[in-house]
Amino acid sequence: MDNERSLIHRAQKGDHDAFAALVEEHQRYVYNLALRVVKDENEALDLTQETFVRAWTALPNFKGQSQFRTWLYRIVTNLCYNRLPNLRRSLNDLGDDVMEDIPQFDNPAYEIESSETRKYLHQAIDNLDANYKLLITLRYQHELSYDEIASTLNLPLGTVKTGIFRAKEQLRKSLAHLEESWTTV
Amino acid sequence: MDNRLTPQEQNALIEDALTSQPLASMPRSITLDVMSRIQKDTRPAIVTWNDFLLSLAIASSIGALWFASQNLPPILLAKIRIQGILLYQGFLVNARWLVPSIMFGLAALLAALTIPSLIQMTTNRRR
Repeated sequence: MDNERSLIHRAQKGDHDAFAALVEEHQRYVYNLALRVVKDENEALDLTQETFVRAWTALPNFKGQSQFRTWLYRIVTNLCYNRLPNLRRSLNDLGDDVMEDIPQFDNPAYEIESSETRKYLHQAIDNLDANYKLLITLRYQHELSYDEIASTLNLPLGTVKTGIFRAKEQLRKSLAHLEESWTTV
Repeated sequence: MDNRLTPQEQNALIEDALTSQPLASMPRSITLDVMSRIQKDTRPAIVTWNDFLLSLAIASSIGALWFASQNLPPILLAKIRIQGILLYQGFLVNARWLVPSIMFGLAALLAALTIPSLIQMTTNRRR
Protein backbone atom coordinates (compact mmCIF):
# COMPACT_ATOMS: atom_id res chain seq x y z
CA MET A 1 0.00 0.00 0.00
CA ASP A 2 2.90 2.31 0.86
CA ASN A 3 4.44 1.35 -2.43
CA GLU A 4 1.23 2.33 -4.22
CA ARG A 5 1.13 5.64 -2.39
CA SER A 6 4.67 6.39 -3.47
CA LEU A 7 3.84 5.40 -7.06
CA ILE A 8 0.84 7.74 -7.01
CA HIS A 9 2.96 10.52 -5.56
CA ARG A 10 5.61 10.06 -8.25
CA ALA A 11 3.00 9.86 -11.01
CA GLN A 12 1.41 13.07 -9.75
CA LYS A 13 4.77 14.74 -10.31
CA GLY A 14 4.79 13.47 -13.90
CA ASP A 15 6.76 10.22 -13.54
CA HIS A 16 5.63 8.05 -16.47
CA ASP A 17 7.25 4.85 -15.15
CA ALA A 18 5.35 5.14 -11.89
CA PHE A 19 2.09 5.64 -13.76
CA ALA A 20 2.85 2.65 -16.02
CA ALA A 21 3.26 0.53 -12.88
CA LEU A 22 -0.13 1.73 -11.64
CA VAL A 23 -1.73 0.91 -15.00
CA GLU A 24 -0.19 -2.55 -14.93
CA GLU A 25 -1.46 -3.14 -11.41
CA HIS A 26 -5.06 -1.96 -11.85
CA GLN A 27 -5.96 -2.50 -15.49
CA ARG A 28 -7.44 -5.95 -14.94
CA TYR A 29 -9.92 -4.67 -12.35
CA VAL A 30 -10.97 -1.71 -14.46
CA TYR A 31 -11.32 -3.93 -17.55
CA ASN A 32 -13.38 -6.47 -15.62
CA LEU A 33 -15.84 -3.81 -14.46
CA ALA A 34 -16.13 -2.31 -17.95
CA LEU A 35 -16.63 -5.74 -19.52
CA ARG A 36 -19.39 -6.69 -17.08
CA VAL A 37 -21.27 -3.54 -18.01
CA VAL A 38 -20.71 -3.20 -21.77
CA LYS A 39 -20.40 -6.95 -22.55
CA ASP A 40 -17.98 -6.35 -25.41
CA GLU A 41 -14.23 -7.08 -25.16
CA ASN A 42 -13.07 -4.37 -27.55
CA GLU A 43 -15.31 -1.74 -26.07
CA ALA A 44 -14.19 -2.72 -22.58
CA LEU A 45 -10.52 -2.43 -23.62
CA ASP A 46 -11.25 0.96 -25.14
CA LEU A 47 -12.98 2.14 -21.95
CA THR A 48 -10.11 0.84 -19.82
CA GLN A 49 -7.60 2.75 -21.91
CA GLU A 50 -9.68 5.91 -21.77
CA THR A 51 -10.04 5.53 -17.99
CA PHE A 52 -6.27 5.57 -17.49
CA VAL A 53 -5.74 8.47 -19.90
CA ARG A 54 -8.31 10.48 -17.93
CA ALA A 55 -6.79 9.33 -14.67
CA TRP A 56 -3.42 10.67 -15.80
CA THR A 57 -4.95 14.06 -16.62
CA ALA A 58 -6.86 14.23 -13.34
CA LEU A 59 -4.15 12.68 -11.16
CA PRO A 60 -2.97 16.02 -9.69
CA ASN A 61 -6.51 16.39 -8.24
CA PHE A 62 -6.40 12.95 -6.57
CA LYS A 63 -6.09 13.74 -2.87
CA GLY A 64 -6.09 10.16 -1.60
CA GLN A 65 -9.43 10.51 0.23
CA SER A 66 -10.57 7.26 -1.39
CA GLN A 67 -8.56 4.29 -2.56
CA PHE A 68 -6.90 4.73 -5.95
CA ARG A 69 -8.77 1.75 -7.37
CA THR A 70 -12.13 3.11 -6.16
CA TRP A 71 -11.25 6.42 -7.83
CA LEU A 72 -10.58 4.54 -11.08
CA TYR A 73 -13.95 2.78 -10.75
CA ARG A 74 -15.59 6.17 -10.53
CA ILE A 75 -13.94 7.23 -13.78
CA VAL A 76 -14.82 4.04 -15.62
CA THR A 77 -18.45 4.10 -14.46
CA ASN A 78 -18.78 7.69 -15.67
CA LEU A 79 -17.44 6.56 -19.05
CA CYS A 80 -19.94 3.68 -19.00
CA TYR A 81 -22.73 6.18 -18.34
CA ASN A 82 -21.64 8.04 -21.48
CA ARG A 83 -21.66 4.83 -23.52
CA LEU A 84 -24.95 3.56 -22.11
CA PRO A 85 -27.15 6.60 -21.47
CA ASN A 86 -29.92 4.42 -19.96
CA LEU A 87 -27.61 2.98 -17.30
CA ARG A 88 -27.64 6.07 -15.10
CA ARG A 89 -31.42 6.37 -15.40
CA SER A 90 -32.01 2.71 -14.61
CA LEU A 91 -29.83 3.00 -11.49
CA ASN A 92 -31.69 6.09 -10.32
CA ASP A 93 -35.02 4.39 -11.00
CA LEU A 94 -34.19 1.57 -8.60
CA GLY A 95 -35.49 3.69 -5.71
CA ASP A 96 -34.69 2.75 -2.13
CA ASP A 97 -37.64 0.75 -0.92
CA VAL A 98 -35.51 -2.14 0.44
CA MET A 99 -33.95 -0.46 3.42
CA GLU A 100 -33.41 -3.38 5.77
CA ASP A 101 -29.96 -4.88 6.03
CA ILE A 102 -29.25 -7.50 3.46
CA PRO A 103 -28.42 -10.81 5.16
CA GLN A 104 -24.88 -11.99 4.58
CA PHE A 105 -23.87 -15.58 3.98
CA ASP A 106 -20.15 -15.24 3.92
CA ASN A 107 -19.53 -18.82 4.90
CA PRO A 108 -22.01 -21.15 3.24
CA ALA A 109 -22.94 -23.88 5.65
CA TYR A 110 -22.26 -26.63 3.22
CA GLU A 111 -20.06 -27.35 0.23
CA ILE A 112 -21.52 -26.56 -3.14
CA GLU A 113 -21.71 -29.98 -4.61
CA SER A 114 -22.85 -29.21 -8.08
CA SER A 115 -20.48 -27.21 -10.19
CA GLU A 116 -23.26 -27.23 -12.78
CA THR A 117 -25.42 -25.13 -10.46
CA ARG A 118 -22.58 -22.69 -9.94
CA LYS A 119 -21.99 -22.47 -13.69
CA TYR A 120 -25.73 -21.94 -14.25
CA LEU A 121 -25.75 -19.12 -11.70
CA HIS A 122 -22.65 -17.53 -13.23
CA GLN A 123 -24.51 -17.52 -16.52
CA ALA A 124 -27.53 -15.98 -14.80
CA ILE A 125 -25.29 -13.25 -13.34
CA ASP A 126 -23.95 -12.53 -16.83
CA ASN A 127 -27.51 -12.18 -18.08
CA LEU A 128 -28.53 -9.62 -15.45
CA ASP A 129 -29.30 -6.07 -16.58
CA ALA A 130 -26.27 -3.75 -16.77
CA ASN A 131 -27.35 -1.74 -13.70
CA TYR A 132 -27.61 -4.86 -11.51
CA LYS A 133 -24.38 -6.25 -12.91
CA LEU A 134 -22.53 -3.05 -12.12
CA LEU A 135 -23.68 -3.18 -8.49
CA ILE A 136 -23.03 -6.92 -8.11
CA THR A 137 -19.56 -6.65 -9.66
CA LEU A 138 -18.53 -3.80 -7.40
CA ARG A 139 -19.87 -5.59 -4.32
CA TYR A 140 -18.72 -9.16 -4.88
CA GLN A 141 -15.84 -9.13 -7.35
CA HIS A 142 -14.25 -5.89 -6.31
CA GLU A 143 -15.31 -6.25 -2.65
CA LEU A 144 -16.44 -2.67 -2.13
CA SER A 145 -18.66 -1.87 0.86
CA TYR A 146 -22.17 -0.51 0.27
CA ASP A 147 -20.97 2.93 1.30
CA GLU A 148 -18.07 2.79 -1.15
CA ILE A 149 -20.41 1.71 -3.96
CA ALA A 150 -22.82 4.53 -3.11
CA SER A 151 -19.99 7.04 -3.18
CA THR A 152 -18.45 5.62 -6.37
CA LEU A 153 -21.74 5.66 -8.27
CA ASN A 154 -22.98 8.82 -6.57
CA LEU A 155 -26.18 7.06 -5.51
CA PRO A 156 -28.05 6.96 -2.19
CA LEU A 157 -27.09 4.03 0.04
CA GLY A 158 -30.68 2.77 -0.02
CA THR A 159 -30.63 2.58 -3.82
CA VAL A 160 -27.46 0.48 -3.74
CA LYS A 161 -29.00 -1.92 -1.22
CA THR A 162 -32.22 -2.10 -3.22
CA GLY A 163 -30.32 -2.83 -6.43
CA ILE A 164 -28.29 -5.64 -4.90
CA PHE A 165 -31.38 -7.09 -3.21
CA ARG A 166 -33.28 -7.09 -6.52
CA ALA A 167 -30.35 -8.60 -8.38
CA LYS A 168 -30.35 -11.46 -5.88
CA GLU A 169 -34.12 -11.81 -6.29
CA GLN A 170 -33.58 -12.28 -10.02
CA LEU A 171 -30.92 -14.89 -9.34
CA ARG A 172 -33.31 -16.63 -6.95
CA LYS A 173 -35.91 -16.77 -9.74
CA SER A 174 -33.32 -18.24 -12.11
CA LEU A 175 -32.47 -20.83 -9.47
CA ALA A 176 -36.17 -21.68 -9.11
CA HIS A 177 -36.31 -22.33 -12.88
CA LEU A 178 -33.36 -24.67 -12.52
CA GLU A 179 -35.04 -26.48 -9.62
CA GLU A 180 -38.16 -26.94 -11.73
CA SER A 181 -36.10 -28.54 -14.44
CA TRP A 182 -34.66 -30.93 -11.82
CA THR A 183 -38.12 -31.99 -10.69
CA THR A 184 -39.44 -32.50 -14.22
CA VAL A 185 -36.51 -34.75 -15.22
CA MET B 1 -40.05 -36.49 -0.97
CA ASP B 2 -39.63 -32.82 -1.84
CA ASN B 3 -36.09 -32.14 -3.06
CA ARG B 4 -36.56 -28.39 -3.30
CA LEU B 5 -33.89 -26.15 -1.80
CA THR B 6 -34.67 -24.26 1.37
CA PRO B 7 -34.37 -20.44 1.22
CA GLN B 8 -31.14 -20.72 3.24
CA GLU B 9 -29.70 -23.17 0.74
CA GLN B 10 -30.77 -20.93 -2.13
CA ASN B 11 -29.09 -17.95 -0.48
CA ALA B 12 -25.93 -19.93 0.13
CA LEU B 13 -25.82 -21.05 -3.51
CA ILE B 14 -26.34 -17.50 -4.74
CA GLU B 15 -23.71 -16.07 -2.41
CA ASP B 16 -21.29 -18.77 -3.48
CA ALA B 17 -21.90 -18.01 -7.16
CA LEU B 18 -21.51 -14.27 -6.59
CA THR B 19 -18.26 -14.58 -4.67
CA SER B 20 -16.75 -17.29 -6.87
CA GLN B 21 -17.19 -15.50 -10.18
CA PRO B 22 -13.66 -15.05 -11.53
CA LEU B 23 -12.27 -11.75 -12.76
CA ALA B 24 -12.26 -11.62 -16.55
CA SER B 25 -8.77 -12.02 -17.96
CA MET B 26 -7.55 -9.28 -20.25
CA PRO B 27 -7.05 -10.19 -23.91
CA ARG B 28 -3.89 -8.06 -23.92
CA SER B 29 -2.11 -5.54 -21.75
CA ILE B 30 -3.01 -1.91 -22.47
CA THR B 31 -0.07 -0.34 -20.62
CA LEU B 32 1.88 0.54 -23.79
CA ASP B 33 -1.21 2.01 -25.49
CA VAL B 34 -1.97 4.17 -22.47
CA MET B 35 1.62 5.33 -22.12
CA SER B 36 1.91 6.25 -25.80
CA ARG B 37 -1.32 8.25 -25.52
CA ILE B 38 -0.31 10.16 -22.43
CA GLN B 39 3.12 10.93 -23.83
CA LYS B 40 1.44 12.48 -26.87
CA ASP B 41 -1.08 14.52 -24.88
CA THR B 42 0.94 16.22 -22.21
CA ARG B 43 -0.93 17.00 -19.05
CA PRO B 44 -2.49 20.48 -19.36
CA ALA B 45 -0.90 23.02 -17.05
CA ILE B 46 -3.10 25.10 -14.79
CA VAL B 47 -2.19 28.24 -16.79
CA THR B 48 -1.36 27.67 -20.44
CA TRP B 49 0.83 29.98 -22.56
CA ASN B 50 -2.33 31.14 -24.38
CA ASP B 51 -3.92 32.19 -21.10
CA PHE B 52 -0.74 33.98 -20.10
CA LEU B 53 -0.39 35.90 -23.39
CA LEU B 54 -4.06 36.85 -23.47
CA SER B 55 -4.00 38.16 -19.92
CA LEU B 56 -0.79 40.06 -20.68
CA ALA B 57 -2.41 41.73 -23.73
CA ILE B 58 -5.55 42.67 -21.76
CA ALA B 59 -3.51 44.02 -18.85
CA SER B 60 -1.28 46.06 -21.23
CA SER B 61 -4.32 47.56 -22.97
CA ILE B 62 -5.89 48.57 -19.67
CA GLY B 63 -2.55 50.01 -18.54
CA ALA B 64 -2.10 51.94 -21.81
CA LEU B 65 -5.62 53.42 -21.54
CA TRP B 66 -5.02 54.46 -17.96
CA PHE B 67 -1.63 55.93 -18.86
CA ALA B 68 -3.13 57.85 -21.78
CA SER B 69 -5.99 59.19 -19.68
CA GLN B 70 -3.50 60.41 -17.06
CA ASN B 71 -1.22 62.13 -19.56
CA LEU B 72 -3.62 63.72 -22.05
CA PRO B 73 -4.20 67.48 -21.52
CA PRO B 74 -7.49 68.00 -19.58
CA ILE B 75 -8.91 70.15 -22.37
CA LEU B 76 -8.44 67.31 -24.86
CA LEU B 77 -10.14 64.86 -22.51
CA ALA B 78 -13.10 67.23 -22.14
CA LYS B 79 -13.31 67.59 -25.94
CA ILE B 80 -13.29 63.80 -26.42
CA ARG B 81 -16.03 63.46 -23.83
CA ILE B 82 -18.15 66.16 -25.51
CA GLN B 83 -17.66 64.56 -28.95
CA GLY B 84 -18.71 61.19 -27.50
CA ILE B 85 -21.87 62.65 -26.00
CA LEU B 86 -22.66 64.48 -29.27
CA LEU B 87 -22.16 61.27 -31.27
CA TYR B 88 -24.45 59.33 -28.95
CA GLN B 89 -27.09 62.10 -29.09
CA GLY B 90 -26.74 62.16 -32.88
CA PHE B 91 -27.47 58.44 -32.98
CA LEU B 92 -30.49 58.87 -30.72
CA VAL B 93 -31.96 61.69 -32.81
CA ASN B 94 -31.11 60.61 -36.38
CA ALA B 95 -30.88 56.83 -36.13
CA ARG B 96 -32.66 55.62 -32.99
CA TRP B 97 -32.60 52.04 -34.28
CA LEU B 98 -28.80 52.02 -34.54
CA VAL B 99 -27.91 51.65 -30.83
CA PRO B 100 -30.05 48.51 -30.15
CA SER B 101 -28.98 47.14 -33.55
CA ILE B 102 -25.33 47.46 -32.62
CA MET B 103 -26.01 45.82 -29.24
CA PHE B 104 -27.88 42.89 -30.83
CA GLY B 105 -25.19 42.63 -33.50
CA LEU B 106 -22.47 42.39 -30.87
CA ALA B 107 -24.46 39.78 -28.93
CA ALA B 108 -24.98 37.75 -32.12
CA LEU B 109 -21.28 37.97 -32.97
CA LEU B 110 -20.33 36.81 -29.48
CA ALA B 111 -22.78 33.90 -29.69
CA ALA B 112 -21.49 32.92 -33.15
CA LEU B 113 -17.94 32.90 -31.82
CA THR B 114 -18.60 30.93 -28.65
CA ILE B 115 -21.53 28.55 -29.24
CA PRO B 116 -19.91 26.36 -31.98
CA SER B 117 -16.79 25.83 -29.87
CA LEU B 118 -18.92 25.03 -26.79
CA ILE B 119 -20.90 22.46 -28.81
CA GLN B 120 -17.65 20.96 -30.07
CA MET B 121 -16.29 20.72 -26.52
CA THR B 122 -19.48 18.96 -25.35
CA THR B 123 -19.44 16.41 -28.18
CA ASN B 124 -15.73 15.72 -27.69
CA ARG B 125 -16.29 15.06 -23.99
CA ARG B 126 -19.18 12.65 -24.84
CA ARG B 127 -16.97 10.84 -27.33
